[in-house]
Amino acid sequence: MKRRAVPYLLLLPGTAWLLLFFVVPLYYMAELSLNSGVVGELEFNWNWDNYNEALSLYDTQFIRSFVYAGVATVAALLLAYPLAYTIAFKAGKWRNALLFAVVAPFFTTYLIRTLAWETILFDESPVTEILDALGLAPEGHVLATSGAVIAGLTYNFLPFMILPIYASLERIDVRLIEASKDLYASAAQSFVRVTLPLSAPGVVAGTLLTFIPAVGDYVNAQFLGGVGNRMIGNVIQSLYLTQSNYPAAAALSFLLMALIMVAVFVYIRFAGSEALMGEEAV
Amino acid sequence: MRESGGARAWRWLREHAVVIAAGLVVLYLLIPIAVIFFFSFNDPQGRYNFTWQGFTLEHWGNAFGIEELTDALLTSLKLAVLATVIATIVGTLMALALVRHNFFGRRLANFLIVIPMATPEVVMGAALLSFFLILGTFSLGFQTLLIAHVMFCISFVVVVVRSRLIGFDRNLEEAARDLGATSLQTFRLVTLPLILPGIFGAAMLSFALSIDDFVISNFNSGTTVTFPLYIFGAAQRGIPVEVNVIAMILFFFTVAAMGFATWQQRRAEKMASVRPEQEAGAGMPAGVPAAT
Amino acid sequence: MVSSEKDQRRTSAILAVLVAVAALAFGLAACGGGDGGIQGGGGDTESEAVKLEGKPSGSVTISNWPLYIDKGTVPAFEKAEGVKVKYIEDVNDNTEFFGKVQPLLQQGESGGRSMFVVTDWMAKKMRDLGYLQTLDKSALPAVEENLRASLKDPTFDPGREYSIPWQSGLTGIIVRKDLAPDLKSICDLFDPKYKGKVDFLTEMRDTVPLVMKCEGVDIAGASEEDWMKAIDKIKSAADSGQIRRFTGNDYSTDLTSGNAVAVIGWSGDAVQLQIENPNIEWRMPTEGCILWSDNMVIPIGAPNPTAAEAWINYVYEPKNQAKIAEYVNYVTPVEGVKEIFDKSEPELAKNQLIFPDDSFTKNCDTQPTLSGEEDQKVSAAFQAVVNG
Repeated sequence: MKRRAVPYLLLLPGTAWLLLFFVVPLYYMAELSLNSGVVGELEFNWNWDNYNEALSLYDTQFIRSFVYAGVATVAALLLAYPLAYTIAFKAGKWRNALLFAVVAPFFTTYLIRTLAWETILFDESPVTEILDALGLAPEGHVLATSGAVIAGLTYNFLPFMILPIYASLERIDVRLIEASKDLYASAAQSFVRVTLPLSAPGVVAGTLLTFIPAVGDYVNAQFLGGVGNRMIGNVIQSLYLTQSNYPAAAALSFLLMALIMVAVFVYIRFAGSEALMGEEAV
Repeated sequence: MRESGGARAWRWLREHAVVIAAGLVVLYLLIPIAVIFFFSFNDPQGRYNFTWQGFTLEHWGNAFGIEELTDALLTSLKLAVLATVIATIVGTLMALALVRHNFFGRRLANFLIVIPMATPEVVMGAALLSFFLILGTFSLGFQTLLIAHVMFCISFVVVVVRSRLIGFDRNLEEAARDLGATSLQTFRLVTLPLILPGIFGAAMLSFALSIDDFVISNFNSGTTVTFPLYIFGAAQRGIPVEVNVIAMILFFFTVAAMGFATWQQRRAEKMASVRPEQEAGAGMPAGVPAAT
Repeated sequence: MVSSEKDQRRTSAILAVLVAVAALAFGLAACGGGDGGIQGGGGDTESEAVKLEGKPSGSVTISNWPLYIDKGTVPAFEKAEGVKVKYIEDVNDNTEFFGKVQPLLQQGESGGRSMFVVTDWMAKKMRDLGYLQTLDKSALPAVEENLRASLKDPTFDPGREYSIPWQSGLTGIIVRKDLAPDLKSICDLFDPKYKGKVDFLTEMRDTVPLVMKCEGVDIAGASEEDWMKAIDKIKSAADSGQIRRFTGNDYSTDLTSGNAVAVIGWSGDAVQLQIENPNIEWRMPTEGCILWSDNMVIPIGAPNPTAAEAWINYVYEPKNQAKIAEYVNYVTPVEGVKEIFDKSEPELAKNQLIFPDDSFTKNCDTQPTLSGEEDQKVSAAFQAVVNG
C-alpha cells in the first residue's frame, strides 16, 4: 500500500504549488475576462464581448506577434544548429567553455542585454552603417524598426534554442553516423538522414521554448522598436497597468494563450510528441 | 590539374563551414557583453552612459556604492537562491515520480508541468497579481515574488531532471540492491550522485531564470525592488555605470562557478570511475555540460 | 501487472488527493471574498483625514520617481527627525504606478507606502476614487509659508487639501540644435523634413494638449472632440512614419545618439542632457508649453502619516529644498530657494528652466482635466495609437 502512494507523495508539493499558484489564478483571470465595467465597479455578467472586441481591435498586433516570433524562431534555429552541432561533435575540450559562452550572457539580465543593443545599433554607429551597406537596413536605420525587434527576440532566446538541440545531439550514438558513412553515404547525406532526424526532439523542444515566450514578449518592442512595431504583449501590459481595463486585458491574455496552444498542438502533432511530453515510462 | 590557391581556400571554408558559423554565433552572443564590459569603464559627466567620455576604474572601485542598486541586487540574489532551492527540491521529486512510476494521472501531471512554460509571462504575472489581491493572505513583496519565482521555475527543473533520469541505467541501482543496500541507501549513494549533474543543471537554470525575471516580478513586487526592476526604472532616467559593473561581476562569477562545478565533476568522475554511458532518449534541455 | 482491486484503491487514492487539493483551492478562493474581491471592498468616497500623533517617529516608506532627489536629504531628514525612511523609486509612469497600486487602494491598503508622488491629474483621479487622505495643515507650517503663490490654489485641488507639490516642470521640445536648428514649435514636429526623427511622449496629458495647442485650441476649455482630433493628427503622423517612437524618459538615448533630432520632453531632463551633449537644449514652443507638478500625497491605509507630513514640512524649508533643487534641476515649488542660489549657484539661479519667470511661461497651460468617462475614451484612443 505504501508503494502505491509514493508517486503521489512525491508529486504532492509540486502539484499543489502549481495548482494553487498557476491554475487558480488563471481561473480568476478567466472570470475577470467575462466582467464588464470600470475599475472599482466591475461585475461578472458573462460578457463575451471582451473577447470579440479583443479579436477585432487587436488582430494586427496578434498577427504581428506571431510573425515576429516565427521569424525570430527560424533565425534562432539557423544560428543555433551549427553552434550546437559544433559543441556536440567537434568541440572536444572546448565543449564546456562554449557552453558557458552560451549560458553566461543570461546572467547579465535581460534588460541590460537589450539596452546594449541600443548602444550598438544607434543610427550613426559603424555597425548600422555596415548593415545598411549590406542592404539589411531598408529604412536607413536599424533601431525603431521591426528588424530590430526580431533581432532582439532572436538574440534573447537563442540559448533556449541552442541547449535543447545540443542535448539532443549529444545523445546520438556516434556509431550510427559512422555506420552510415561506412555504407557510402556522403557527409551531407549522413547529416540529413541520420543526425537531423535523431536531433528532432531537441529541435522541437528548442523551437517551442523560443517561440512561446517570444510571442508574448514586450520588452524588445518597447526598447528596440518604433511606431507600428508593438506586440500583443505591449497591448496586454498597457491594458492591465496603464488603462486598468482588467476585463479586456484578461480576455486578451486568454486569447493569446489559446492561440499559442493551438499552434503548439498542431506543431507537436506534426513533429511528434512523445519525447516532448516525456511519456516514456521507465 | 592541381588545385589553385583560391579553390583550396574555398574547399577549406566549405569543410569548416559549420565550425566557422558556430564561431560567428558565439561572437554574436558575446557582443553585447563586450559592450557592457566596455562601458563599465566609462567616465560620463552627466547621468547617462551612452557615449564614451573617458576611461576610469572609479566605478569598479565603487561597484557597491549606490545603496538602492546594491539593495536591489541583494534582494534578487536572496530571492534567486531561495527560489532555486525550493524549486529544485520540489521539481526533482516530481521528476522522480513522473519517470519512475506509471500511475493514473501521469499524463495529466505531465500536461500540468508543460503549461506554465507555454504561458506568456505577461499573462502569468497579471493572473498572479489578481490572485494575490483577492486572496489577501500574502502581502505584495518578497513573499509574493518568491511564490511566483518558484512557480515558474518548477516546470523547468522537472523537465531538466526528467531528461537526465530517462537515460539513467537502472542496472546500477539493481546492482546496489543485490549487494544489500536498502532503497534509501541506494537512492542516496547511487542514484543521487549520478543524477546530480542534472539536478545541478536544473538549479543553475532556475537561478538564471529567477535572477533575470522582469515581467512577472514587475506585476508582483509591491514595493520590493529587484535588480531587473531597478534597471528598468533607471533605464528611464540614466543607468549608472555601476549597473554595468555589477552585471559584469555577475557574469564573471557565473563563469567561475560553472568552471568550478565542471572541474569538480571531472574529479568526481575520475575518483568514482563510474561513467554514465551516453544516454538515448528525450531531447529536452539538459542545461549543463553532460558527462561523457 | 496490477490487479483490478489495486487499481480501484489507486483510483480512489488519487481522487481523494485531487478533491483535497481542489477543495483547498476553492476554500481559499471563497475566503477571498464575495463575488471576486477585485471589484468588492474599499474605496469609500468620503475622504479620510490624516490623524496626527504628536512627534513623528518610527519608519516611513516613500515612493517617488527615479532620480528625483539628491543623496543627502534622506539621511539628513532621518537625523533631524529621528524617523527611518525607506525611499523607493518605483514610480516610472503615472498610469503604470496606478495600475500597480489601484487594486490595493481599492481594499484600503497602500502596500506599506506612507506617501507617493504623482502628477496633478493622477492625484485628482486618486482623490476622486477616494484613495487619498486629507492633509492636516497644522503640521505643515513651512508649506503654508513657502509654497509659491501660483501653486497655492490649483483647479484640481483648491486650497491644497490633499496634495503638496514636490517639484514642478515644463513640457516642451528638446532639440539637437546642431541637427534641427530651425525647429521651434510643436507644429514643426510634423514637418516632413524631420520625418522619422521625432519622438513623442507616451504621457497622454503632455502630448495631446501640446498638439491641441498646435491646432490653436484653448486647452482649458478643450472638448472631447478636440482631444480626439488631436489624437487623429498624431495617428496620421505615426502611420506615415513621421514619429519615430513613443517614449518615456528614454528619449534621452535617441537625443544623445542623434537617432532623433527633436522630442517632446521635460525641462529637468534637458538640464542634465546638456551636460551630456551641449548641443541639446530645451526650447519653449512658440505655442507655449505645458506646466505640471508632481505632488506628494498620502494614501488611505498609509502607515505613519505623522512622519509623512513631517517629511513634507522638512522639504519645504528653503535650505533643505535648495539641496534637492540643485540636484534635480526641475522647477522648485518653494519660495526662497532662488535667493539661496543667487549667492551659491548663480548659474542655476538664472536658469529659466529652474526659476522660470512669468514672461517665459506666458503661453503655458496646466494639464487639462477630463471627466471619468471622457478619460476612458480618450485614453483608449491614445493607447491604440501608441500600441498600433
